[in-house]
Amino acid sequence: MADEALFQFLHNEVIQYVNSAESGDTENGRCVSKLENMGFRVGQGLVERFTKDTARFKDELDVMKFICKDFWTCVFKKQIDNLRTNHQGIYVLQDNKFRLLNQLSAGKQYLDHAPKYLAFTCGLVRGGLSNLGVKSIVTAEVSVMPACKFQVMIQKM
Amino acid sequence: MFEPMEPHEEKPIIYTMENKPIVTCAGDQTLFTGLYSLLAQQLPREPMEWRRSYGRAPKMIHLEANFVQFKEELLPKEGNKALLTFPFLHIYWTDCCDTETYKASVKEDMQRWQGVLRLHGSSDWLIVVVESDGKKKNKTNILPRTSIMDKIRNDFCNKQSDRCVALSDPLRESSRSQESWSSFLTKLRTLLLMSFTKNLGRFEDDMRTLREKRTEPGWSFCDYFMVQVLLLRMLLVRNLLNLPVRSWNGLLLRRPIDMEKRELIQRSEASLLDLRSYLFSRQCTLLIFLQRPWEVTQRALELLHNCVQELRLLEVSVVQGALDCWVFLSCLEVLHRIEGCCDRAQLEANFSHTVGLWTYATEKLKSLGYMCGLVSENGPNSEELNRTVDLLAGLGAERPETANSPQSPYKKLKEALSSVESFEKHYLELSHAALEMYRAIGRMRSARLVGKSLAEFYMRKGDAQTAQTFLLDSLKSYTSEGWSLPVTHTRKQIAECQKQLQQTEDYLQTSALLASDANLTDEERKHYCQEILTFANQASENKDQRVALSMSSFAQLRELRFQPAAATVHVGAALQLELRLCSLMPVPVRLEQVAASVHFSLEQPGTRPGPVGSQRRTGVSPDGTVTFPATSPSYGPPQSSAAAALELYEMQDRSPSDNTLNSTGVMCKNVHLLLRSNDSTTSLDMPRGSASALTMEDGAQMLKTNDVTLLPGSNSIVFSSMQAGTYTLRQLCATVGRVQFVLPHIYPIVQYDVYSQEPQLTIEPLTDNLLAGLPQRVKFTIVTGHYTVKKGDALQLTNSTSMPILHSSSCSACILSSTEELVGEAALSIQASEKVTSISLPPTPPYHILEFQLEVLCHIPPSPTRAESERLTNGEVRHRPKSRTRYNSGMASIDQKVSIDCPWSIYSILISLTFYTPFRAKHSLLSAGKRKYIQVCLQNVSDTNFCIANQTLTELQHTPSLELLSLNAKSRQLVYSKQCLYSLWEMKWSRETLPPCLQCVFNASFSPADAPDTALKPYSYEFQLERVSTLYTVKADIQPAVGEEQCRAGSLCRLEVSITRLTDATEAEREDEEAIETEGLRTTKLMYEVVDNSSHWAVCGKSSGLVSMPVAAMATHKVQMEVMPLFAGKLPFPSIKVFKYLPHTAPPMTQTTTSPLLDKGLEDQADTASLRSRGSVHSLGSSDHQQQQRSVPMPRLDPFSPGQVFNCSLTRQVLVLPSTDDHVLEVNVT
Amino acid sequence: MYVIICMHCFCPQNYPLYIRSVPSQSELKFHYTVHTSLDVVEEKISTVGKAMAEQRELYLGLLYPTEDYKVYGYVTNSKVKFVIVVDSSNTSLRDNEIRSMFRKLHNSFTDVMCNPFYNPGDPIQSKAFDSMVSAMMVQSS
Repeated sequence: MADEALFQFLHNEVIQYVNSAESGDTENGRCVSKLENMGFRVGQGLVERFTKDTARFKDELDVMKFICKDFWTCVFKKQIDNLRTNHQGIYVLQDNKFRLLNQLSAGKQYLDHAPKYLAFTCGLVRGGLSNLGVKSIVTAEVSVMPACKFQVMIQKM
Repeated sequence: MFEPMEPHEEKPIIYTMENKPIVTCAGDQTLFTGLYSLLAQQLPREPMEWRRSYGRAPKMIHLEANFVQFKEELLPKEGNKALLTFPFLHIYWTDCCDTETYKASVKEDMQRWQGVLRLHGSSDWLIVVVESDGKKKNKTNILPRTSIMDKIRNDFCNKQSDRCVALSDPLRESSRSQESWSSFLTKLRTLLLMSFTKNLGRFEDDMRTLREKRTEPGWSFCDYFMVQVLLLRMLLVRNLLNLPVRSWNGLLLRRPIDMEKRELIQRSEASLLDLRSYLFSRQCTLLIFLQRPWEVTQRALELLHNCVQELRLLEVSVVQGALDCWVFLSCLEVLHRIEGCCDRAQLEANFSHTVGLWTYATEKLKSLGYMCGLVSENGPNSEELNRTVDLLAGLGAERPETANSPQSPYKKLKEALSSVESFEKHYLELSHAALEMYRAIGRMRSARLVGKSLAEFYMRKGDAQTAQTFLLDSLKSYTSEGWSLPVTHTRKQIAECQKQLQQTEDYLQTSALLASDANLTDEERKHYCQEILTFANQASENKDQRVALSMSSFAQLRELRFQPAAATVHVGAALQLELRLCSLMPVPVRLEQVAASVHFSLEQPGTRPGPVGSQRRTGVSPDGTVTFPATSPSYGPPQSSAAAALELYEMQDRSPSDNTLNSTGVMCKNVHLLLRSNDSTTSLDMPRGSASALTMEDGAQMLKTNDVTLLPGSNSIVFSSMQAGTYTLRQLCATVGRVQFVLPHIYPIVQYDVYSQEPQLTIEPLTDNLLAGLPQRVKFTIVTGHYTVKKGDALQLTNSTSMPILHSSSCSACILSSTEELVGEAALSIQASEKVTSISLPPTPPYHILEFQLEVLCHIPPSPTRAESERLTNGEVRHRPKSRTRYNSGMASIDQKVSIDCPWSIYSILISLTFYTPFRAKHSLLSAGKRKYIQVCLQNVSDTNFCIANQTLTELQHTPSLELLSLNAKSRQLVYSKQCLYSLWEMKWSRETLPPCLQCVFNASFSPADAPDTALKPYSYEFQLERVSTLYTVKADIQPAVGEEQCRAGSLCRLEVSITRLTDATEAEREDEEAIETEGLRTTKLMYEVVDNSSHWAVCGKSSGLVSMPVAAMATHKVQMEVMPLFAGKLPFPSIKVFKYLPHTAPPMTQTTTSPLLDKGLEDQADTASLRSRGSVHSLGSSDHQQQQRSVPMPRLDPFSPGQVFNCSLTRQVLVLPSTDDHVLEVNVT
Repeated sequence: MYVIICMHCFCPQNYPLYIRSVPSQSELKFHYTVHTSLDVVEEKISTVGKAMAEQRELYLGLLYPTEDYKVYGYVTNSKVKFVIVVDSSNTSLRDNEIRSMFRKLHNSFTDVMCNPFYNPGDPIQSKAFDSMVSAMMVQSS
């Protein structure tokens, strides 16, 4: 499908661009922060659109489930494989075949580049949650591609 | 709820709310009575789906029925709309089981029943045949049940066979009985519902027709209304309680009139409220019955709103205030009623439902109060009194049911309207009740609105203090949520309070806010602005009493621009600070003074690199502007930027063992910062900022501008002139009469520098290094700093004669501004006297740069013997700047000190210039027997290529017989960088001896290789030659061993050394040669030494020894020794050295020559070794040892100067054949 | 006469993002009314956890009847609140019509959110949104 591929290609190009634009800066994190920020705004808009016809959310968990199911399906054509929480504001979302890493490698090759390919999605989730009234910090971790984990820390209001 | 019906009861049925649809029973009454209780119990047990017409959603309902005995009167007449008494189903009961009986009586009875039904057009009937085994047993001529059924079906149900059902053994507990019960019940339910739907549908259709006709004249709303009420009650009867509540509502809320029908309603206006009251009371009863009293309140509110709305629409003329009275009473009545049926806790839990009514009542009472003049300070006037009387009269008498209650709404209203005091009491009571309730349920905004209303009341009563408290509370809420219109309105009210309370400062502050408020009209804004100006221009008794107000509401600082953009200037230059202030006032305001207070942080900016390249300040854009964030004076969107930004980094987790990546990820650096709840974010600018924050800092330096008129909108204000230092802008203050508008903080921080600079003179070479001997250009740079160079100012250069300043007429100076732009050029006039060069400077303004170039020449010192000697090339380090290490290896430097007197200082400046000699010269004396040659080696140590010409060598004492014969090429020669040029002269002399010491000068001309001939500069090199003439010749000869033709390796050879004296003793020689007179013959002692450093030879036996030489020409001494060649081949002779031997009696001549220069070869010589070692020990010691050495005479060795001993066989070689048994010889290679 | 007298969008912190009302003398009163109605909106939102699924509709229904106006509320999942105020005398507007008006508003707001030139939280200055609201106000008059 063209639209799926389009997002992926565009995403790749954005990373390339941001990475080259920030290459002058040796400071670790400039590139991922920038990508994350982009994702944030996109997430805000996306969620506004996706939740247009859904019922109001009951609680935080309800919101997280929405992110894992509807939101993830819309963006990545699949659901999150596993959602875990400590019921104290930390959620771990595991995707066993994350679409943006799928083309990258199936193992440890290019593992050092993987964070850049997760940053946008971190922002996407954070932006989405933020627009649903849940302030959070989203981080990501990957050890064997294309599986990865996103950790959502909810900021208590 | 239900009581078993007595089937024979004759009295009319009372239709209560609990009534159910009527089902008539005909036939065998006793049979039915026996089954009744079971039936009534079982019927509602299972729900039926009720499919409704008009696409309404189907509904599951539980059917119940009221079974009554069939009577003809019960059947509805044509046109009777009495739904409630309408029988929906008619059942005929029979237990007849034999044909006889059937034919005899039952059939007839049934026919009659059917006839009546048909007459009334009722088609909803059912025949039930009850079978029981008991009955069957008694009868003998039993026909099967089916036959009776068939008969009945045949007779009555020609098409609807389902209208006849059987019920077998209804009172037994058998499964068959159960089965038949259930099918019977289903049938009953179906039919009942069918009939119900049919009849209801018909009824509704009728009603709709009626409604359609509503535009026709003569239509009666009452008729329609009654029909609808009936329907609803019918539904109620159906026990569909949830349904009717909504419909009642619909009825209540439906606007029942068209404009065309207005007259009609107006005629019956009195009854409209009655009608509604009636409906409402029905509804209330219902809701209270349903245990939902809270809905009553909600509906009451809606009802009241609607009634008021409708009456308004209808333009019904009522006494002014009558409606308010009615609403007030209604609200309180309802509340009263609710309070009556609930306990306290329940009430408190449901404030959210009752509070609306409370508020409504409060509002109405308030408007009544205003209307009747009960709120004003002066009390009601006559007109208002009349109105009150009318209203009270209109209230009529209290209804009997509440007459006994002391707190009845009626009494309350009457009391409230009776006097100002009691109105206040009641109004406050109500308001506070509403306020408390709102607070209790957390509806703070609503509470504040009530508070505002209270504030208005207090204002009217003249209690501005209390009013202000409420208003400020409300204002806070509106401000924090950014509601501009309410903010403006509330602020206006606050302004009024403050004016009344004489809170001058607060009032002025609020006025300023209002004057800048775009929501207000121009007139209003001008009014508030005028208020400030009027106050400002009032002559105050207390002169120094000034009022400080926040500037944010008066004008906003938008931008600040520095001119020059770097925000750095020197003292005396113009730094312009242009402020862009946006005045929010509606009219031009004349400011007496605008002052910016600055904080002075540094007296003198320390090591400022100068006006150029000063560091860029944060916040200042390259064009020198600082933009201030636009802040709204009172409200604005939340400052989301206050939250810390997310900082991420890429995490790479490597395995500790092999450093491979375990995992990577995106992590957050500042989790702790972000997860911290940010409740500490406070509003930056409070409209009523604490007074202390608005005071101007004392003792701060000020930039001032006087008499500025601020026009509405953008204004620019320019400040200038400063003292030296670094300044930070702190506050801004605009003064209008007694009023000061203060901007307490200027953020972002703005700094500027005013620096003062001392005049400064630097002199630097134009090239990397200055070369001595050639004219070199030197650049003089004068940074004038704060000094103005006047006409006639001159630099006085005092320089040594070895470095004259060459002045050409074309010398001119450039004047540059501090930003390095060329300002002008001026010719320099240079006057040079013997020691002093005076340079007249062109007039130059302060903080400018004056640049000019001069040519200087550093003569190469005429007698640089010492500087040229080998030893000194490593020395003299102190002359060289340490950074220029590359010259350490080659060039000798000459430091030239120049002392300069500057016009701005009484002290002379001492400037040192280092020149480097481009050449290094070395001389050597070469001998060939008695013939002597002088060789001068000139090495170009600079980076430049030079041309060398006219090399001459002169002997300074002009010894008459001495002639120096040049053996050099005449032409110019090119000496490239790091190359050498050798020149050679032969010495010729006619006399026997030469003076012991010869002073020579080597002269040459040089110029850079690319320069013309005219640029040739002299170079001279002085040196001294001592003891030039040859005293001894040494001749060595190696002979093979006796009997051998050739020398052979490994076999001893004979070395014969013959030393021959060439001259008699000379005068000069006598002085330094120690001759001993023995036996009339003057002899001198020499020490010879045979050394072979190249391990070609093994010297056997004594390798050194002393010889006594007669001081006479051609005296020869021969020494023989044995040497052994170690290798075969052409071997060079071992070297033979000759020293003067000074016996211990002779005092040492000079310290420098006493050092015994001994070779390793001497070490195996016992006799000299001791000598040498002792001498060396002492010579290595300090001066103490040397003094000791002087006092304790020791024999010493003294070398001859080069040229005194000529070695004839210096480079001779001897052929050595390999030894015959070379296979035996072991060669040790070391 | 316009029916929608006043319309508000609020960002989650209750700052007005957009206020549009029929020019009239009582604009101030609308503001007060709408501001107060936020109390009820908040009340309704806070009870959402207990509510059934069908009651978790974005449309909050009638919030606040007063003598003069009816105030209807709507909250998006992003906690943006829409409020429509209708003159009490207008009884021709049904609940469903109000609901569909809110849906329209929401759709339009979503477009605004997805506009790259809009910074979430800022007042809405979109011309498209303006004209949509105008059309709605005229249409339902």
